[in-house]
Amino acid sequence: LAEQRAALPERAKWVMSMRKIKHVVRTSTAAVGAGMVLVAMTACGGTPSSGARPAASSTTGGTLTVAGELGPTTLNPETTNQALCDFEELAYEPLIVRLENGGLAPGLATSWHYAGRGNTSFVLNLRSGVRFSDGTTMTAQDVVNDFEYVVKAGGQMAPFFAGDSFAVTGPLRVTITAKTPNPEFPFLLTQDYNAGDIISPDGLKDTAALGTKTFGAGPYELDAAETVSGSTYTYTPNPYYYDKPAVHWTKVVIKVMGSAQAILDALKTGEVNLAQGDASTLKAAEQAGLTVTQAPLIWEGVDLADRAGKTVKALASVQVRQALNYATDRTVIVNALFAGVGTPTEQVTVPGGYGYLASLNSVYPYDPAKAKQLLAAAGYPHGFTMSMVTADYDEENLLAQALAQEWAQVGVTVHIIDDANPSAYEQAFASGTVPSFIATYGQQPIPVEGPGLFLPSAIFNPYHTASAALQSLYDQDITATGAAATALDQKVESYLVDNAWFVPVVASGLPWYATTDITGTAVTASAPLVELYQVEPASS
Amino acid sequence: MIRIAARWLVSSVALLFAVTALTFVLASLAPGSAVRAVLGADTSVTPQQYAQVKHQLGLDEPLPVQYWHWLYHLLHGSLGNDLFSGQSIAGALGTRIGASLSLIIATVVVSGVVGVAFGTVSAVRGGATARMLDALAVFGFALPSFWLALILIELLAVRVRLFPTTGYVALGSGPGPWLRTIALPVLTLSAGTTAAIARQTRDSMLQVFGRDFVTALRSRGLPLRVIVWKHALRNAAIPVVTTLGVVFIGLLGGTVLVEQVFAVPGLGEAAVTATTNHDLPMIEGIAFYFAVLVVIVNLLVDISYSALNPKVRAAP
Repeated sequence: LAEQRAALPERAKWVMSMRKIKHVVRTSTAAVGAGMVLVAMTACGGTPSSGARPAASSTTGGTLTVAGELGPTTLNPETTNQALCDFEELAYEPLIVRLENGGLAPGLATSWHYAGRGNTSFVLNLRSGVRFSDGTTMTAQDVVNDFEYVVKAGGQMAPFFAGDSFAVTGPLRVTITAKTPNPEFPFLLTQDYNAGDIISPDGLKDTAALGTKTFGAGPYELDAAETVSGSTYTYTPNPYYYDKPAVHWTKVVIKVMGSAQAILDALKTGEVNLAQGDASTLKAAEQAGLTVTQAPLIWEGVDLADRAGKTVKALASVQVRQALNYATDRTVIVNALFAGVGTPTEQVTVPGGYGYLASLNSVYPYDPAKAKQLLAAAGYPHGFTMSMVTADYDEENLLAQALAQEWAQVGVTVHIIDDANPSAYEQAFASGTVPSFIATYGQQPIPVEGPGLFLPSAIFNPYHTASAALQSLYDQDITATGAAATALDQKVESYLVDNAWFVPVVASGLPWYATTDITGTAVTASAPLVELYQVEPASS
Repeated sequence: MIRIAARWLVSSVALLFAVTALTFVLASLAPGSAVRAVLGADTSVTPQQYAQVKHQLGLDEPLPVQYWHWLYHLLHGSLGNDLFSGQSIAGALGTRIGASLSLIIATVVVSGVVGVAFGTVSAVRGGATARMLDALAVFGFALPSFWLALILIELLAVRVRLFPTTGYVALGSGPGPWLRTIALPVLTLSAGTTAAIARQTRDSMLQVFGRDFVTALRSRGLPLRVIVWKHALRNAAIPVVTTLGVVFIGLLGGTVLVEQVFAVPGLGEAAVTATTNHDLPMIEGIAFYFAVLVVIVNLLVDISYSALNPKVRAAP
């Protein structure tokens, strides 16, 4: 048990990687849902595992303006896309706070523990005197009602709580009784998953209003009069917030801007203080004197989904898939498209990430002759034709074009389906009818990654390819701990590389740009994403 | 007059009906579905859940029935609710129409004033001045708006910080901030429209200058300034006003890109987002707003015809 507890901060890494990364996050959530029952780990018991929330400075600035390229379709914490949770996170305090170092700290709950054995009964002791932004005091019944709404709302968190029962077991105590063992409740109730973002009774009475107003107990509340849905979201301090020193701004504005260049221009002139950047603007941001931070977070490449050869017979051959890896000049692509933010990779993780092995990055050196040889050996001396779907953000479409050109040199013709519409892209790649697609995926522990990326049920495995060898490695991995788990992680990674399920190209971080008048934007490998409520005026 | 009003009313209702019906059909034919957009790419969604959401959204009914429901709600004063946020469409668009109209009206005014001035000078002076103005007009036509927008941002917002790079401040917050935020988008939009007005004005003026009454006025010794301002411009105005109406209607679609580049929360930006999300009620609401604006502009153009030319009033 002690060993498992010690592993918690490490495990928390994937929590960060699951947020805010567009479709990656969305699919990762499903992955956890499938994996959590299998993961034989016990979450933190009794008290918070990593001490209390750090004391905040009481510095208050004027307006913090943040920009992003995408806006949310709703502010309802239980139905919003978690990739865009910044928009509701400021207004909803979670029951448990995930810290920058990956540990957990009290939020609306002051302590929590599993009762008895088997991880089916989870008890939360609530903070007293908490008030929602409308002034009403939070009760244990409110928390129960909120959990019930999580299930009813049918959002991304609903599957994690479906079938569970929720009860008030004390004046400020709530107990979740899980249908099946669930060791992940502490993590699911952090800000990373929204399920712990408690909604006020008024909000639950009028759930239609949750889309455009906020009803939380967080540090800020939405100023609806100053907000234009899909464009500008304005937040002002919640006068009833229990931790006033943690409120650093008199106003926070999140603007949705259509392009990375527009965001960069606004940062240069100081109209915006903070934004997530990308490779196309990184150098310009540095030259403009902005504070640029980033940490390894995602890999990007091709998912050769049709490994059974249902749509494109050639892809059933491991030699063909390996040939595509040999035909990929990663260094050239990375220098052209991801200069400054990425490094070439042949594995589905990032340097220092779960299962990472440096040696796996030299399995497929760029060798078109070897690629042709393998294609010929597989019965495709003149190549073959396949389609590839891509979105057009994060350079994905450019990556697809680069790969199509390189693979054409060994006779493989790629028809690119460029879906500007993210929804259409997701539908296309998840449909199991497109043999390959550009994938961007956040690094995760293998037990979590499996159900999301490579197990037969995974959304990134839309043809449901099954491998007894891989399944066996995975089954061993989810019960292993310490060095044995690390070794099994690497074996899984080696299997995926050797069998060429993917053509990973680049491992990269998400750069953040900040003006020099703010702090709290530093990111690390264990916390690669900036949390808005941690951003403070630089004078502090 | 009553006959004209009745004719306008009938044609306007027909236009609104046609536009909204066509939009409904076209939006329903677009690839993807609102149900999928609501559910995301989660493959754990069961067919029952899918059907439930589809039913909740009213998308399991035949298209004509869906359209009828939309019409029924419209006749009862409701454009429906956003599929995702639940916000009323009228409320959502009400916060945006001001931004779009600010850009469009300001662009029409700027291009009208500058275009008529350029066109008149070109027609009156001729020679090198006319050729230079012609060249400027062609240049204005040829400039891609997104390129011009980026150049203006770089020059006038980033280097010389005269204007903000992006954003919009409503007129209610003060005319100064409002003007500063719409200046660059309006400059961008005006490049092409000013050229169109200038060309139309010049052609109309040249036609008027060739007519007998202008020759008669000249022979009576009237100063050129008087002939131009009192007589020629009035006679040349109808085609120019028609062009201004066309420009206004064209800008309804033309602002989409500019609103995106300048992050102006207008109808165009909402149209892009709604289309991306397959938010049919929102798409339909925007189409309805656009159609209403077209009807209003056409009416204003017709009224201006009557004001400019009494013969139009007398026509049956």
